[in-house]
Amino acid sequence: MMRPSSSRPLRHALAQPSALRPLPRTSRSLHSTCYRLNGHRASLEGSSTVNADEIAHFSRLSSLWWDETGEFGMLHKMNPVRMQFIKEKLLEIRREETDDDVEEGTVLRGLDVLDVGCGGGLLSESLARMGATTLGIDASESNIAIASLHASADPSLDITSAALSASSSHLYPGVKGKGRLVYENTSVENLLARRGPASFDVVCFMEVLEHVDNPRAFLDSCAQLVKPGGHLFLSTIARNPLSYFLTIFTAEKLLRFVEPGTHTYSKYVNPSEIISYFQTYRSPLSTAVRSAGTPWIGRVANGVPARVEAETRGIIYVPWNGEWRLSPRGEGWSEWCNYLFWVRRPKE
Amino acid sequence: MLVTTQRLTAKTIRKHLSRSAARQYASSSNVEHSDVVIVGGGPAGLALAGALGSSKVVQESMRVTLIEAGDLSKTKAWQLPPDAFSNRVSSITNASQQFLRNIGAWSYVDETRTGPVEEMQVWDGVSGARITFSAAEMSLGGQTVSELSRLTENLNLQRALLRKLEESSSVEVVDKVKVESITTDDREGSPWPLLHLSDGRVIRARLLVGADGFNSPVRTYAGIQSYGWAYDTHGIVATLFHAPRSPFMTPNTVAYQRFLPTGPIAFLPISETASTMVWSTKPHLANALKAVQPSVLVDMVNAAFRLPEVSMRYLHDRLIEAHNGGTPITSEQLREEILFREHSHSIDTHSALSSLSAAAEAGIPPEGSESYPPLVKSIQPGTVASFPLRFSHADSYVGEGKGSRTVLIGDAAHTVHPLAGQGLNLGLADAEALAKCIHDSASRGGDIGSYTSLMPYSRARYFENHKMMSAVDKLHKLYSTTAMPIVWARSVGLEVANELDTLKAALMVSAGSHRLDRTPGSIGVGLAASTLENVAKSISDAQVVGQVASGVVQSGLQQLFRTLSSRR
Repeated sequence: MMRPSSSRPLRHALAQPSALRPLPRTSRSLHSTCYRLNGHRASLEGSSTVNADEIAHFSRLSSLWWDETGEFGMLHKMNPVRMQFIKEKLLEIRREETDDDVEEGTVLRGLDVLDVGCGGGLLSESLARMGATTLGIDASESNIAIASLHASADPSLDITSAALSASSSHLYPGVKGKGRLVYENTSVENLLARRGPASFDVVCFMEVLEHVDNPRAFLDSCAQLVKPGGHLFLSTIARNPLSYFLTIFTAEKLLRFVEPGTHTYSKYVNPSEIISYFQTYRSPLSTAVRSAGTPWIGRVANGVPARVEAETRGIIYVPWNGEWRLSPRGEGWSEWCNYLFWVRRPKE
Repeated sequence: MLVTTQRLTAKTIRKHLSRSAARQYASSSNVEHSDVVIVGGGPAGLALAGALGSSKVVQESMRVTLIEAGDLSKTKAWQLPPDAFSNRVSSITNASQQFLRNIGAWSYVDETRTGPVEEMQVWDGVSGARITFSAAEMSLGGQTVSELSRLTENLNLQRALLRKLEESSSVEVVDKVKVESITTDDREGSPWPLLHLSDGRVIRARLLVGADGFNSPVRTYAGIQSYGWAYDTHGIVATLFHAPRSPFMTPNTVAYQRFLPTGPIAFLPISETASTMVWSTKPHLANALKAVQPSVLVDMVNAAFRLPEVSMRYLHDRLIEAHNGGTPITSEQLREEILFREHSHSIDTHSALSSLSAAAEAGIPPEGSESYPPLVKSIQPGTVASFPLRFSHADSYVGEGKGSRTVLIGDAAHTVHPLAGQGLNLGLADAEALAKCIHDSASRGGDIGSYTSLMPYSRARYFENHKMMSAVDKLHKLYSTTAMPIVWARSVGLEVANELDTLKAALMVSAGSHRLDRTPGSIGVGLAASTLENVAKSISDAQVVGQVASGVVQSGLQQLFRTLSSRR
């Protein structure tokens, strides 16, 4: 069966119910609920880019997150490619800046990483295994529950989700390479309000942007959370007839590979749109730095940003291999459907 | 596919979580964690452990445990005098050797006990049609190779792998311990295998590897079915002693295989004066051959490589008759029979075809000596053994559902007829592919026990193994017949094959003599195997055509070979 290159849409829910409402710069609500066994109900009414319908959709599917041959199979297959891209870019920049030989396996070790819209925790677990101190957030309470439950079964993950933290760390002798992992049922706006800007070395939001109602506002919140010199990674779907054909017509309508209604064509974002967003985006004034920052993307030639500032790379599903492939740099046509994007916050 | 959405509310999950947390405390006293648990300390399991032990990523982030019921310290201390050999010998292909070098195990192999194969001679026992492969003709991938493969005692290889493993701190080798049961720990809805060992330990495995042979308990646990059948054939192995080759001939580096209707007999050189035999034959013949005196078996082996097929059939009958009569045939009786048959075929007692040649090793050897293995003089005591041959292939290499986090390698995944000497090589290739798959997944932070992480292994090996296995199976069946049209067709097949570089190169690859690289355009096992399949198919077609004018078949075959060579 031809599996079209639609990602299994992760609907992490991040958009407001009434679209087009402008995003407030400061979040109004502080309702972020750390997932606990004794359980608080998450309340996200006050947050701004979370879309209630999207949350409902993904909450309904939440128990299927870890069925690798089911609904989210394509996403499981996509995960290694995302990790590859994240590792490659971090390594490239690290090597650019130090003369020391940086080992590939250690590039994420000790970094503070935020995974926005973590869903069942596919990416978060991988990040934590690579040694990153990982925070996965999702607006769906049941996603967070599923993610915590799954991670607690894995002794290589040090999941500090309230009561479990005590047990999992010394449970099994001989466990190596633990990564710290925390899940939280909150929105990115709430997190920003609580933790303040410049809190993370790496912020990721994979297959999330196409599910939010106000992408500019969402991008803004995510970008604020990045430390100077830190990295922002995202993956999403470009908006053009091909991507409509593959992700909506073929995947949803024809093959029913993805539940109809998963994708909304108008919410797709083109690489050029993200690039131009970051060409004008400057980090807001902070107390430490008096002057406004420089734009995140300063140099663009023929629509391609400088390699050390930002990069887009297409990812293509190869049905006969049953794998996603990260396209080589400069293969522009490959970005016509699913693509990854990386940008770095200037050091200032 | 309709997805039944099992609605797990946050509340029920929380309940579940606290319950499982309580259970974790209860069981934490004796449950250990291991990332990779390999069950079975045979060559494939040891090679996987060795490959994992040599990967830096694995060393840093994982714990690997190998469990073997037998006593591995005996294997580690295994020693034989230089002129004695174990009867289990495998043809290690260049590809397998390269893999063993890469993981640092080959340097522990005692090379003085191994025999290079520089040439292979294969012939049809009925028609005499013959093909020859030699390393000198090999220049695939622009690289010349000095040997087609290297005959190595399995114990020599296992000892090397064990010594290599001693260096590795990330691999724990547990021997003399049985896996008593495997249960499922599915507290979070994702099942993890729990191994209960005979020494009381309980290990929770992220990934459970079945390297536990044909009757794999891991395969049973994983709920994976295996498809196959037993051939009506047993393989007899023995270590043969013979005089060194005369200085006028190439040294003992030629492997010989004759296809008899009862099954192929192979002569595999391991030193200048010793070789191993693998004789596949009908079970009742195998029993009779095992029961006779060693000197009788010696003459039978010599005859099996030389005497015309019709006379071999006669000797088989005599042997069975005497065996069933309770008075096994004596050496004198057999020699008399052989002499008589040779005489009636007008085989001169001094020719290369004579099994009882008086022409000693001294002097110039008779013409055609290089077409036959050296005359066997004796058999190393205690090395005659036999085993049933079977074809089996697991439906899948990776467990799903209840049997998640399991994977099969080596004989647990597949068993194959030994005629191409591929069994062990397929197992080593599995180990190499699985180690790579684990390495790749781990270096991207993946869960190496997950289905998605294991898929690349399955994709890399399943179809490759299947092609090789079915090609070998077809060859076995093809040569088990004496029906004239088929014998004729296959002889043409073999002789035409001798003329065709492409086909030969492909066949040599199928014998595993060249390292496979995945670059397009290189001849891989795939082409080789499909070539064999095509030959086999065209010949079974020939069976149907049967009486039809031979020209039709011939042109069909020619066309086939043209297609094959132009495919290059």
